Amino acid sequence: MLSRVADALFWMGRYLERAAFLARDVDVTFHLDLDLHGVLAAPVRADWDRLLPPSSPPPADGTGGATARWILLDGANPASVMACVNRARNNARMIRGQLSSQMWRELNKLYWHLSDPAFQERVAESPHDFCQDTQVGVLLCHGICESTFTHDEGWHFIQLGTHLERAEQVLRVLDARLRVPDGADAADLPVATLRWAAVLKRCRAFEAYQRLFISRVEAERVVEFLLLHRDFPQSARFCLGRVLDALAAIGGTSPERCDSEAARSVGRIVGTLSYLDARELADGRLPAVLGDALVRCATIGGLIQGQYSLA
Amino acid sequence: MPSPVEEPDRGAAPCPDESLLAGYETGRAYDEMFDAAGTARPHYLPLAERLGQTSAEEFRRRKGMTDLSMRQDGVGFTVYRADEGIERVWPMDPVPRIVPAEEWRRIEEGLVQRITALNLFLWDVYHEQHILRDRVVPPRLVVQGDSFRREFVGVDVPRKIYIHICGTDLIRAEGGDYLVLEDNGRTPSGVSYMLQNRQVLKRVFPSLFADYDVLPNDEYPAALLDVLEYIAPETGGKPTVVLLTPGMYNSAYFEHSFLAQRMGIELVEGRDLLVDGNRVFMRTTRGLRRVDVIYRRIDDDFLDPLTFRPDSALGVPGLVNAYRAGNVALANSIGTGIADDKGIYPFVPDMIRYYLRQDPLLANVETFRPEVPAHMSHVLEHLETMVVKRVNESGGYGMLVGPASTAAERDAFRDAIRAHPRDFIAQPTIQLSTHPTFVDGRLEGRHVDLRPFVLCGERVVVTPGGLTRVALPKGSLVVNSSQGGGSKDTWVLAPGTGG
Repeated sequence: MLSRVADALFWMGRYLERAAFLARDVDVTFHLDLDLHGVLAAPVRADWDRLLPPSSPPPADGTGGATARWILLDGANPASVMACVNRARNNARMIRGQLSSQMWRELNKLYWHLSDPAFQERVAESPHDFCQDTQVGVLLCHGICESTFTHDEGWHFIQLGTHLERAEQVLRVLDARLRVPDGADAADLPVATLRWAAVLKRCRAFEAYQRLFISRVEAERVVEFLLLHRDFPQSARFCLGRVLDALAAIGGTSPERCDSEAARSVGRIVGTLSYLDARELADGRLPAVLGDALVRCATIGGLIQGQYSLA
Repeated sequence: MPSPVEEPDRGAAPCPDESLLAGYETGRAYDEMFDAAGTARPHYLPLAERLGQTSAEEFRRRKGMTDLSMRQDGVGFTVYRADEGIERVWPMDPVPRIVPAEEWRRIEEGLVQRITALNLFLWDVYHEQHILRDRVVPPRLVVQGDSFRREFVGVDVPRKIYIHICGTDLIRAEGGDYLVLEDNGRTPSGVSYMLQNRQVLKRVFPSLFADYDVLPNDEYPAALLDVLEYIAPETGGKPTVVLLTPGMYNSAYFEHSFLAQRMGIELVEGRDLLVDGNRVFMRTTRGLRRVDVIYRRIDDDFLDPLTFRPDSALGVPGLVNAYRAGNVALANSIGTGIADDKGIYPFVPDMIRYYLRQDPLLANVETFRPEVPAHMSHVLEHLETMVVKRVNESGGYGMLVGPASTAAERDAFRDAIRAHPRDFIAQPTIQLSTHPTFVDGRLEGRHVDLRPFVLCGERVVVTPGGLTRVALPKGSLVVNSSQGGGSKDTWVLAPGTGG
């Protein structure tokens, strides 16, 4: 496979996942904003700020609706959901001959649908439809890819991009939540719980969490679930495991024997997350584990590109 | 846009008022569907009847479906204005153009004859140059032509074929004869739109197909791959063929990816290839892989910065030497531009007589060359009735359509022609044939041309049909899609059916 094609598949996967994750996050944050509106003075400013790219100025009108619009589709925001979809489409366009025509068509439809000014207009009232359609569009692309794209090298590059991006997003959501201090007072508990529930929803994990723990949302369990769960497809351990699988498949070997620099770096986090005792996290190891995982995620992309002489 | 040409002698309305064809006017031009009396030609009868039964509303809905289909499939092209690229959806008119079997047979024979002569001409001018010595073609026109590649004199191309892929532009004059307007023997485009138009029309108007036996055109990609494999250097195994594109910002990028996909070959950009020891390789995730044949959709000038334009980032350094060494085949070959040069065009009928000892089956459009003094005065006197083209431009850029021009534009061209006679040719303004086309809720006559696609490998294959381009503004004669032209599916009928 051409290195350039592999690179485009990798980035198409990443940007699609990023668009879906960001859209979901905006939707959840918007609703959290509504929930906490009556309870707190500036309820979710920090939650919104987290979604703004550090380099670009937030919109002058700081209301939830305006901020959501900025993050979703403002043309001046280079990291908007729309920009992610556009980049995913551009990568797909560059290699559209390699994709099934149905997959290209679905991604192209998503792009035109989200670009429709009348549809964008509706974001002013509620970002829900925009967020929802973005996620459904991305899921459709994943589904078509799963069933029409041969599961060979190219497919593994898509998996690599998708899961690396997802792992990084989940880690970031956790990291950001831990930076928002909860009040020690019993009266603050409902707000803290709402915020932890929002973390689960951002990671599409709320229902799965409830089914597993049959209890109210508790910080330690949320962290454990999103970080360490073996089989839940949005947990960091699961996603990084997939990254390792993909690297091994591309290298034509098994995960245990894959010893490229990228694979070793991923392997170390997967090892930590696989064998860590949840109690250690509660005893103070969490920030170190999270920090290490985030740093490695950020460097793995570069290692992969170097290894396969991607653009 | 005002009509550049008066159209007197309006024909009578051939249909009742409610129908889509109500008030359809035929002008001086040859109309593909109706004769001068307003009667549908025999091979168009079933279509005319069906259109007569279709309401404007219904037709509008189906036209909407074609546009949506094209948009969702991402079928489009990029137009560049003021450095800004605009993505346009491919415009297709849902009324098909129909060519009877016998008419097509004559076109096909004419095209085969023409490509054969052009390839013989190219071999000749890059080798012994008999035709120049015999003064059939003025040597100066060839050796001073911008597109003559002096570096390739004496180089033997695989199988002696220069033009493997040709898109010849045909028009139909007032009398109904097909004329050759242009041979596109460099990197002609449009074939993907021909195929896509057929797919979309089948989706949108399936019932129309039931009335006719239309020859399929779907064989094209396979036939193209045959040609590309035919010219591969001998390696013993199955050759590796790639399509080289300038990239996704090129106006024909859709076509590049479409063809690569349909042939199952890699779509590569210049940066994916490298030359080592006069051999061409592509960079893959498993290291370098040898490339045998390149279907290149990059002009000569940009192909290799070491040989041609040094500032080109699109090409592959060293590619020309690898080609010269016979280690890689290119389609089309380098240097074909001299055969479809507008300055050489007037001599193609003479080439056919010279090499094949046959009379041309398809005529040229009458062409004046300002560098001939008698022609110069004729052109300057009749500028307002002529079309003037720059020899080194294509795509409808840099031309003067006399009847639609202003006095200032004509003055500018007059000066330019006097200063650089060799840079221009002039032709009488031909009323291209018209075809019913859906405009503003009804069918009106619009001018069309036809670009059939010719493949030249072990044998010459002409794909039945081609791309019919249509000038959408009323009276306009400019069909180029970059200038706002549309397109039609083109049906060639099976022999023994429908006239």
